[in-house]
Formats: sequence, structure tokens, C-alpha cells
Amino acid sequence: MKRIHGILAIIIGAVLAISACAQQATPTAVPEPTTPPTAVPATAVPPTEAPATEVPAEEGPCLIIGATYGGPIMDAGYNQAMHEAIAAIKENISCVSIIEAENVYDEAGATSTIENMIAEGAKMIFATAYAHQYPALGLAEKYPDVVFEHVGGWEMGANFANIFGKPPDVWYMMGVAAGMMTETNKLGFVAAFPLAWTDVFVNAYALGAQSVNPDVEVIVGYTFGWGDSAKEAETTNSLINQEVDVISMHVDSPQTVISTAESRGVYSIGYQNLAAQQFAPEYWITGQGFTLGDKFTWLASTVMDGTWEPIFLRCGLSDGCMAIAPFGPKVPQEVVDKVAQVQADLESGKIVTFAGPIKDQDGNVKIKEGEVLTDDAMSNVDWFVQGVVGSPK
Amino acid sequence: MIQSSNALPAKSIFQNKYLQIFVRYGLTVLLALLLFAGILLITGNNPIPSYRDLFKATFGSAYGFSEVIVSMIPILLTALAVALPARIGMINVGGEGQLYLGAIFATFAALAFKDLPGWLLLPIMVLLGILGGAVWAFLPAFFKAIGLVNETITTLLMNMIAPKIAGLLVFGFWHSPRETNMTPNFVDAARLPTFFGTRIHLGIVFGLVVLALFWFVMKYTRWGLEMRSIGGNVQAARRNGIPVKPYMLIIFCISGGIAGLAGMAQVSGFYGLLIPNFSPGYGYMGFLISWLAGGDPLGILLMAFVVSVIMTGGNMLQITIGLPYAVINLLLAFSLFVVLAKPVLPKFLRGKAA
Amino acid sequence: MSLLALLGVLSSTIFSGTSLLYATLGEVVTERSGTVNLGLEGVLLVSAATGYGVTVLTANPLVGVLAAMLTGGLVNLIFGYLIITRKANQLAAGLAVMFFGYGLSALIGKPFVGKLIKSLPRYMFPGLEDLPLRYTSLFKFDFLIYLVIPMAIFIWWLLYRTRWGLSLRAVGENAETAYASGRNPGAIKFQGLFVGGLLAGLGAAHLSIAFTMNWAEYMTGGRGFIAIALVIFSKWHPIRAIAGVLVFSGAVAFQLLLQVSGVNISPFILDMFPFVLTLTVLLIWGGTRKHSAPATLGRVYEGTE
Repeated sequence: MKRIHGILAIIIGAVLAISACAQQATPTAVPEPTTPPTAVPATAVPPTEAPATEVPAEEGPCLIIGATYGGPIMDAGYNQAMHEAIAAIKENISCVSIIEAENVYDEAGATSTIENMIAEGAKMIFATAYAHQYPALGLAEKYPDVVFEHVGGWEMGANFANIFGKPPDVWYMMGVAAGMMTETNKLGFVAAFPLAWTDVFVNAYALGAQSVNPDVEVIVGYTFGWGDSAKEAETTNSLINQEVDVISMHVDSPQTVISTAESRGVYSIGYQNLAAQQFAPEYWITGQGFTLGDKFTWLASTVMDGTWEPIFLRCGLSDGCMAIAPFGPKVPQEVVDKVAQVQADLESGKIVTFAGPIKDQDGNVKIKEGEVLTDDAMSNVDWFVQGVVGSPK
Repeated sequence: MIQSSNALPAKSIFQNKYLQIFVRYGLTVLLALLLFAGILLITGNNPIPSYRDLFKATFGSAYGFSEVIVSMIPILLTALAVALPARIGMINVGGEGQLYLGAIFATFAALAFKDLPGWLLLPIMVLLGILGGAVWAFLPAFFKAIGLVNETITTLLMNMIAPKIAGLLVFGFWHSPRETNMTPNFVDAARLPTFFGTRIHLGIVFGLVVLALFWFVMKYTRWGLEMRSIGGNVQAARRNGIPVKPYMLIIFCISGGIAGLAGMAQVSGFYGLLIPNFSPGYGYMGFLISWLAGGDPLGILLMAFVVSVIMTGGNMLQITIGLPYAVINLLLAFSLFVVLAKPVLPKFLRGKAA
Repeated sequence: MSLLALLGVLSSTIFSGTSLLYATLGEVVTERSGTVNLGLEGVLLVSAATGYGVTVLTANPLVGVLAAMLTGGLVNLIFGYLIITRKANQLAAGLAVMFFGYGLSALIGKPFVGKLIKSLPRYMFPGLEDLPLRYTSLFKFDFLIYLVIPMAIFIWWLLYRTRWGLSLRAVGENAETAYASGRNPGAIKFQGLFVGGLLAGLGAAHLSIAFTMNWAEYMTGGRGFIAIALVIFSKWHPIRAIAGVLVFSGAVAFQLLLQVSGVNISPFILDMFPFVLTLTVLLIWGGTRKHSAPATLGRVYEGTE
């Protein structure tokens, strides 16, 4: 039996060594996906210069910021976009200190994590996941001297505010690109859950596509999980097997969906993070990502100088809160120009994404002639526009 | 089929030497912490400040300590749901599924009878929660009793089914208008009361009462005696006229009911709503705790506490040194490794079974 | 429903079923030697993370596949140490390995989250090159997919046509008798576990490197437990395991087809189907007393030391 002990020691050693290699490998692995320069006009990526090494913060940080994420911060998706925005605060204001917690999946975990952050001295909390809104709101009442910013929700309070980009208009532009690129007239959409926001994105995407290609269909498949990559691969394959030739998604990390589309020779349109482009070197159309670094920095600076106020903040492409990725190699100039023109029209108000009349899948008028879907009403959408295949709830 | 003959050790390792129990569990935890310290070192972290953070987050503040108690509630109950049938040689790896069914039944009551006052609604939810878990345990116990199929594999399969039933109900029927992946918040009458302004809820009383009952029944009643004899030797027990099959059915249902109660406590006391995948493996953690404790009531209480400290404090490791939260599972695994590997201890500490 | 849609279901089934079949075959081998590894989920996770990480580091998916296999074998040996050398209860040890896998895989995988990998190359199924493009894209597979059915046959041959397989099954049926006939049950159980771990690692490698091309915590999502159920469903037989996996993965693919065809039926009902089916099959077999389980499955071999 002595021998087996020896073997076991070697095995455990080997396994540990593997994990050690893995850890040490971090810095040498693939370089960070840097934000690529944009090809579309007027979507400047927020400058993240200022390596600011002056102010040596001897007397401790000027502000401790806690950030919670619903998934891994290097997911090349939503969480990474949020993490990069938080990191931008540190780059711009060097005396702040950042505490981060990734993979905070549920509400219960969010409460204890944020409590721990406040115990560590955090005076400002960025709760970036959908499921963190109510835990953060509850703690905002308990800790009136801490400022809470939640991303992507709707609640407001004395020391609690919400911030988000304006993805629907950008989804409309994505739809235009997809509608022009598709040959089968079938667009696939992989979504995590049938949530109101997802329905809004799908609708904007479908309306954009239909504006250039009336025959287009958008087929929606759900994975019922924000980060279930096996289910994402299965759903993507299923959509492609339905002759879909452009894939888009609303899940946390676009990696699996885009990689799967690329491996099957199908176009993809990214969401959440511009870094998604790396997974589709060939069949990439374009994508949109959140670039909230400047706004986060501004919010932190107002907390530091005491001028912070709860503002319900929604900012889009023109505010630098969102950006469009460069177009892929297979996209003709005509599509690039059309998207740029639509963007200009959206900004000038010539095109309004959700302007009536808009009918749902069953033909009921949801938005009347002359009316527009308001930002507030978007949180309660539970229908798909005509031309979408799938269940909206 | 999987044999039940190697069920959890049926007896406490030491009968009345509480000090030795403490020392023994203490050594187990210490060894596990040492192994995990190795992992921390390999990942480039100094274990000492890490452990200091872990203990600071749990014992350093009233809030931290209250969170330990909160996270102890479900696993204390699911551990008891494993320890009880183990006394008659049955293995319940189905705590996870029974927990879900309890949560589902309780949620049904919370949503359907939301106009009832709390003094009526909560007992209904408790009863339905127990019933849900018991139903989910009855099927495998029944199949086992009539000699069809072993309970281990059926309970495992039913663990896979239960969360999907929750998903079906939440997405299909019960979801709130804005968020399709969860039910609406329960009305206040459907919430277990909480104490001291923390998240500690009445569930802890459930856990302690069940624990006390378990200890009392096993030690002082004829049932306990008969169960021990079934666990010792089924054939002999049968010859002595003990009704083995009814015992199996009833004990397994009770054990499912206990796990169901844990589910009810989680949705009513902790979340205040039902999410399809709300359990991070409470049922399996209960199995782990029951094993660490060798099925002994005092040990279950201790190990449930230790596991809760690990889980709650692990959160802090993520914040301070950036380790993924899931890594804390290694510490749980190491403690079970230590118990299972039965390292040679100094003679005065050596038990005969463990 | 069009022919294309049905072929699509077949293609999806093959893609997603491959990793499951490898894992199931691994568990068949393990269980034939009398060992239930409840920790298969953990083994799969550690292998998937290691395979993915090594693929990122070496930019060579083949090295990644090999690393995943080896890792699977090694983790199973740790399990073996507990249950064979230390004679621990198999269910408890399996659970410990599950928790071990959750933790270790998160640690190994963390640096590689969101990293781009070079996946396994795909080759057209021979003889289908002339079909229209919409069909051919369904049948381009990587070598692990092509290898999986031959592997099932190979495992069958290994178990039923070789001396090693005979020893393995003898130990699974009755370790004492096997010992009396001059075999070393402990060593053979270790070998069974190692081979089972290699196969599980292969399945995990396909999952992370070829199928999802991603690493995420808990990404196996219960596939380890599904494989254990499928082993019973297939009555511990490698060839029948193919059928079990086809039924299971086919149900998943069919459910997705219905969903994306706009048919409104809850995916959760269809998700339950394979488990309910397995349960039913178990009950029927239980009723007819046609067990094929290795007789000492799950039992601690006390040995003759």
C-alpha cells in the first residue's frame, strides 16, 4: 500500500501543478482584447488614456467602490464590458480603490456580497446584474450614506439610481445590417430568458431588418440560463439547422454562440462587448457593446465631490455609452453606408425605432399610428412584432 | 444495483465524550484547512491573511455571524434528511429534489392563498412543504419497498426532474409580469418572520426542533431502538417482528418531508419568491454534512455550522484575493476527503468507525 | 416538418451527444469493475477546464484533448485512492469528488475565461460532398465525433473479448472470487477507474474544446449525472449506451426544433422526458428481474490484507 500512497502524492502534485501553471499563465496568455477602433462615424470609444501615476495615495483611497457582476468578468460579454467600465474609473481617478466580485449569480448572494463590500469600506456600489437590483435597493435603505448605481434596471431611490445604454436603437441598426446580409431571409436570435428587455431587443432587430428586407423572419430560441454554454451551442446549432444564416444573441457571454456560428459558416452579430469580434474572424457582420467607462467615472467623481444625485440615466451611441464594432471582411460597403445613414437618421429623429403602427405576432395593433413606445413602457413589453417566430413569454 | 449495506455509520463515534468529538472534528477541519492552504499557496496567495479574512467575515461582525446562521438553515435540515434514513440503512441522495418539491408546494400555497392571514398561511405552507418533500421521497421508497429498484439511483434521477418542474411552473404559470424567471414576491403573510433585523428567520427554529426530535427519538424511544436494529441487521430485525417495510416507507417519507421543509424555509424565509434553480446543491451539502458527522446529531449541528462558515466566509476570499467563489468547494471536498481517507490519528482519538 | 429540419435534429443530436456518449462509456467501464463514480460531474468539469486551458496555452487542440483525458484519469485515481485504498464509501467519495471538481475546475479555468481557442478542425462526412450546401453544413464533424461510435465498439471489444475485460467484469461481479482465481481486484479496479477517467476526459474535451468552444463554471450542467443515469438505461452495455445517448440528445434537439419552429410547448416538459423515461425503464426492468448490473456495484471491497 506504500506504493499507492506514493502514486497518489504524485497525482495530487500533478493536478496541483496543472492548476499552478494555469494561474501563472495568466499574464502570458492571449493579450487583452482591446477596444478596436470603430469604423462607423460618430461612435468614438471613450478615451482611456491617463495612466495617472501621480497622486500617491498614502493616506488610503479617496473612495472605495464595490462592483458586483452576475458572471465572470473576462467573459468577452456583458460582465467584461461592465468590468472594463469600472476599471476605467480607476484609470481616470487613480486614488479610488475598487473591490469586485464576479459570479454573483443570485439575489441572496448579491446581498451578502454587497454587505461585505460595505464592511470593507465601500461608499459607492455598482450592482451590474439584473438580479442585483432589489438586493441593492434593500441595502440602499439600510445604508443611506452609501451610493448605489444599478445597471439595466428601473427602480430609483434617494441614494439609488439606474444607468443603462440605449440598445434598442442600436439593435435597429444591427437589424438593418442583418436584413441586408441574409440570403435565406431567416435571422436567428439566441436569448437567455423571455424577458421584457429581450423582447424589446428582438422587436427592434426585426423592425430594422424588415425596413430593408420585408420578407425577413427572426427566429428566437431560449436557453433559460444566462451562462449555460452547452445549451447556447445546442440552441445555435438548432437555429442554423433551420436555415438561419445570421445569428445574434442576448446572453451574458457571446463567445459560444459566435464561435458556433463561425464554425458552421454562419454570420454573427455581437452584443454586450466589442471584444466578441475575435470569435468570428471570418463571418462577423458587426456588433454593439457597452462602453460606460466615462459615465461611470463621472458618477464616481460626483460622489467624491458630494454632488451626486439620483438620475435615471439612459445614454446611447452619441453619448459614448455604446459603441459599434468594426464590420467584418465579408460585409460590402453598401451595407456599411446604409447602417451609417440609418444611424444618422435615428440621431436626427428621422427614423424612430418604435413608431406606430406596430402589430404583434397575432396582428393586434400594439402601438397606434402616431404613437411611440416610451422608455418606461419598454420594461413591460411581452409581445413580438410580426415576422418573429418564437414565444415572447 | 448499488448496495445499501455500506450506509452511513449508524452510531456516534464516541458515546459520551463530547470533548473528544470536538477534538476529532477540529482535527478534520484543521487538516482540510491545511490542504486548502496548499491550494492558496500554489495560486500565489498567503493563506494566513486569507483565513483571517474568512474568519473576520464570519465571526468578526454581528452581521457576518448572522449570515452564517442564515446559510446553516437549509443544510442543517437536508443533513438531517440524510442522517435519519441512514439509521435504517437507506441512502437518501434525493434531498435536492425533495427540497425543490417542498419549495414548489409552499410556493403554490403562498401564491394561491395570499389573502389569508399569516398565522394560517404559514402553517399551510409548512405542511405543504413537508408534503411536497414527502411525496418526492415516497415514490423511491415505495419502489424500493416492493423490491423494484434501489432508492439511490431513483432519488438521483428525481433530483434532475425536480428543478425542471420548478422551471415549468415558474415560466409557464407563476412568473411575475416583469421578470419571467421568478415568481412575484410573496406577500408578507407568506414570509417566515425574521429576527434581530438580520436575515435569520424562523427556519432555524425548524432546524433545531427537528434536530432535537431526531436526537430524542433515536435515544429514548422504542422507535429509535427498532430503527437501530433494522440498520444493524435487516434479517434479524425482520425475524424479531419489526415491520421493516413500513419503517422504510415512513422513515423515507419523513426524511423527504424534512428536506421539503428546508425548501419551504428557503423560499418563504430567505428568498421570498421562487426561482427555478434556487438551490446551489443544498441537498448534496446535507449529504456531505451528514457524512462528516457520521450521522451523529451533535456532529451534524457542528458540521453544518462549519460548512456555513466556509460558505459565508468564502465570499470574502473572492472580494479580497479574487479567487472564484466556486473554489470554496475545494475546502468542502477536502474535509470530506479527510474523513473518508481515515488518516491515522493519535490512539486516544481513534474511533472504531468514522 | 421538412427533411432538412429532421436532418437538423440528427445533426444537433450528434454534436451534443458526443461528449455525453464518451462520458457514459467511461462510466460503463468504471461500473463494470464494481465502482459507481457519483463524482463524474466533477471529473468532467476538471477535464473540461484543463483541456480548454491547455488548448489556449499551446494553441493546439490535440494537446488540449490529451491533457483533458489525462486529467480525467488522474482525478479518477484520487477517487480510487479513497474507495479502494482507504475503503471509503463510494457514494460519499463520489460526492466529495463532485465538490472537488466544482472547486478545482473554477480555479484552473479562471485565467482562460473568455479566451479564444483554435477548435478542432471539421471534416465533411464522406460521400456527402455533392449535396447542396444547406445539407452539407449539417454533416461536418470533428474527429472526436467520428471516433465515438468506433470507441463504443472498441470498449465493447475490450470488455467482452479481452482477458483484461474479463478480469474487470469478474472483479465487478465478485471481487473475492476474482481474488481467489489469482487476480488483484484493487489493481484492476484502479485500472477500470483510470480508463473510465480517460474516456470522461475525452467527453469533457469535446464539450469545451469542440462543442461550446468556451469554458464557464459549472458548464457541464448535470451531464455527469445524466451519464450515470444513461449507464443504467443502457444496462451497463457500451453498444446500448449509443441508443441511450441518441434518445437523450435527440429529445433535447427535438425540443429545440419545436421551440424555434414556433411550437409553444414548455421546454421544461421535454427536458424532463429523458429522466422520466430512464426511471420508467428502470421500473420495468426491476419488475421483470432482469438486472444486468455488476453484482458488487457500489460495495466496498474489503480486500484480503
